[in-house]
Amino acid sequence: MYQLLLTRVYLTSKIMPLLASVGLGLCTALVLVVWSVMGGFLTTLLSSGRVFAGDATINWPAGIPHYEALIKKLEADPAIGAVAPIIDTFGVVKLPDDRIEGVRIVGIEGKSYSRVVDFDKALWWRPIKEALPKDRDRKDPRLNPDEQDWQAIYENSISLTKPDRVTGERVPAAVVGIELSGMTQRDGAGYYTPVGLAKPRPDGSVQNLDLYLHNHQIVLNIIPQDSQGRLMTPTSKPLPVAGEFRTGIFEIDRRTVFVQLAELQRLMLMDAVAGVKSSPSGAFNPYENVAPDGTSLGNVETTGATPARVSTLVLRAEEGFTPDDVRQSAMRVYTEFAEEFRGSVPQAFQINNPRGVKTWAMQMSTLVNAVEKETALVLSLFWFITIVCSALILAIFWAMISEKTKDIGILRAIGASRAGIAGMWISYGAILGVVGVALGLGLAYIVVLNINSIHDWLGYSLGLYVWDPRVYYFSKIPDRVNPANALIVAGAGIGFAVLGSIIPAMRAAFIRPVTALRFE
Amino acid sequence: MALIQTANLKKTYQLGHVQVPVLRGVNLSVQPGEFVAILGASGSGKSTLLHLLGGLDAPDADDFKLLFDNRPINGMNAAQLDQYRRTDVGFVFQFYHLLPELNVLQNVTIAAMTRWGWAFSSRRAEVEKRATELLRSFGLGDRLRHRPVELSGGERQRVAIARALINGPRLILADEPTGNLDRKTGAGIIDILLERRKAEGRTMIVVTHDPELAAKADRVVRIVSGVIE
Ligand SMILES: Nc1ncnc2c1ncn2[C@@H]1O[C@H](COP(=O)(O)OP(=O)(O)OP(=O)(O)O)[C@@H](O)[C@H]1O
Ligand SMILES: [Mg+2]
Repeated sequence: MYQLLLTRVYLTSKIMPLLASVGLGLCTALVLVVWSVMGGFLTTLLSSGRVFAGDATINWPAGIPHYEALIKKLEADPAIGAVAPIIDTFGVVKLPDDRIEGVRIVGIEGKSYSRVVDFDKALWWRPIKEALPKDRDRKDPRLNPDEQDWQAIYENSISLTKPDRVTGERVPAAVVGIELSGMTQRDGAGYYTPVGLAKPRPDGSVQNLDLYLHNHQIVLNIIPQDSQGRLMTPTSKPLPVAGEFRTGIFEIDRRTVFVQLAELQRLMLMDAVAGVKSSPSGAFNPYENVAPDGTSLGNVETTGATPARVSTLVLRAEEGFTPDDVRQSAMRVYTEFAEEFRGSVPQAFQINNPRGVKTWAMQMSTLVNAVEKETALVLSLFWFITIVCSALILAIFWAMISEKTKDIGILRAIGASRAGIAGMWISYGAILGVVGVALGLGLAYIVVLNINSIHDWLGYSLGLYVWDPRVYYFSKIPDRVNPANALIVAGAGIGFAVLGSIIPAMRAAFIRPVTALRFE
Repeated sequence: MALIQTANLKKTYQLGHVQVPVLRGVNLSVQPGEFVAILGASGSGKSTLLHLLGGLDAPDADDFKLLFDNRPINGMNAAQLDQYRRTDVGFVFQFYHLLPELNVLQNVTIAAMTRWGWAFSSRRAEVEKRATELLRSFGLGDRLRHRPVELSGGERQRVAIARALINGPRLILADEPTGNLDRKTGAGIIDILLERRKAEGRTMIVVTHDPELAAKADRVVRIVSGVIE
């Protein structure tokens, strides 16, 4: 009871502990703001990176034959919403300025792929009416319909085709990550503008290139493998560019090229071909006399077709199912499938492992781990500051208890117990913790919820852009507080305040009344 | 039957390697209701003796007796000792020892708070009424909300006495209650203490240099070189 009275009185009369409490509040605010922003950053990063990852994938780089049958089985599973076959491989691309880059080449089938991932959302060049939030002067070229035929570019990108310049017939085209070509550059406000590249002519003069990649063609160089993973003749294929995409993840946007699945199957020699037996005469042209379905058209005897293959199936979860559910279902279905096509498809044990069937999180684990480690590092730094705050409370209480030695002696002399005295200081510390944490949480919420306006204001009035979209790939700073994080921070803040008060409280409890009373 | 009984009570302070014997075997019996004045030169160990009687300090481990109501004070555990200090004894210190942040009324009721603990809430009204009455009878009725710094020495000492009395203890231990006061104020405080004693039959052990106060005691004892003469 006297503890309550004295704590109340000390709270209103002693300024130092309150300052420590405010310090603790600032520390907790800092921790929560950093945690919210970094955590939000991670979430945004993941959801951007997830764009092309679906919920889970089945992957066998040498190729899965009979994949249509597997897709049918997979789509019959309740956990799996949709499946898209793709080829996910590597190659080298020659860019319009003759630069060479190693890239990931992904063959997709527009329709099925769009059912699994938001391919359409990632396409960058399209007509827009609203400028990006920071693009105050409306400098985004996409706002200007006279700059390029944005609608046509967008439609070309979706279908991965482009009308041939001469015949007008639609031919296969590539969609390229927007950071790959280096022909456009991201502005502080988040939009891309052309840089204007040039290349030398053989005679030594310089040729200025057209500003946009979609007015050029690129050359894909691919090394196909057969179903046993043996190398086959490298192929080189010029492809016009339909458009560019942007996920927000630099590594993806810099190193990915999408092409039509059928086209990539042909280039990778993963398409359906008829097997032939040589005729007794010996001389024949296998491609002339065999229909695409493998039936013989002439004097050549066929042995049935080698089916088309894909390297990867991308799976989307049905509403209410988690990526892990999808992964489990996929492995179960694959076992059945492998049973059915025994001998002609990879066996279940080859596929049903963490490399063969992955959730999107497993696929992105390097990136996730990196960001998580970074978050943990920053957080531990700030936790350290909070612990320093706790030491501050310790020091202030220590000094206060020295000053209050006599009062503690008086209390002991009129019958206060050791536990009572210790409890008083600890609850005082706890109250300071609660006050500080309440302050800190309030501040953190205000800052995080308004972080974009605060940041804009800073940039506007002081020219200070901490969060430069050119560096951070998101034009908006994450502005959500996770209540669970807030709870942890609050608990820890109060905990540290209590921790800081424990040692001084013990000291107070063990003050001997006589010594204290003789204390001047 | 004596309320306080000591035999061969010793207290030695250790100053570095030097042993400073202060009490060298005190034998003292105080009857219930008795008023004993303790006289002695400065440094003779009067305060030390009161601290031992009040359970604030422990005597030398030797063959001794230190009884309150036939219970050995030195045999009490920590909880019993706290209990003894908060219910059986009222201490009046030489230098008032009020809590500076609390007002007059709170300085008195805090002793009742330590006594009743959390049960105090249900007794608050009763205790505050009693404290107010005590302070009023001490002439402090209009100073209840004042801080100790706003009071004179005599007023502070009266608050300290009210604090010692609030729990109705059987034994009052007062260490030079009039030491810092002028004669007239001192006399007033003596009257307050004595009036309460008669009304409630309380035992009092008072350390003093004040002959006027000693003259009113039932018995006067002197500490000379660590023993009672
Ligand atoms: N903690 C201590 N350590 C060492 N010596 C002490 C300690 N406390 C008291 N003393 C010594 O014990 C002796 C008795 O002290 P005490 O306070 O009991 O005297 P007193 O009779 O009350 O004197 P006064 O009349 O001045 O109040 C003194 O000489 C003092 O220096
Ligand atoms: Mg003394």
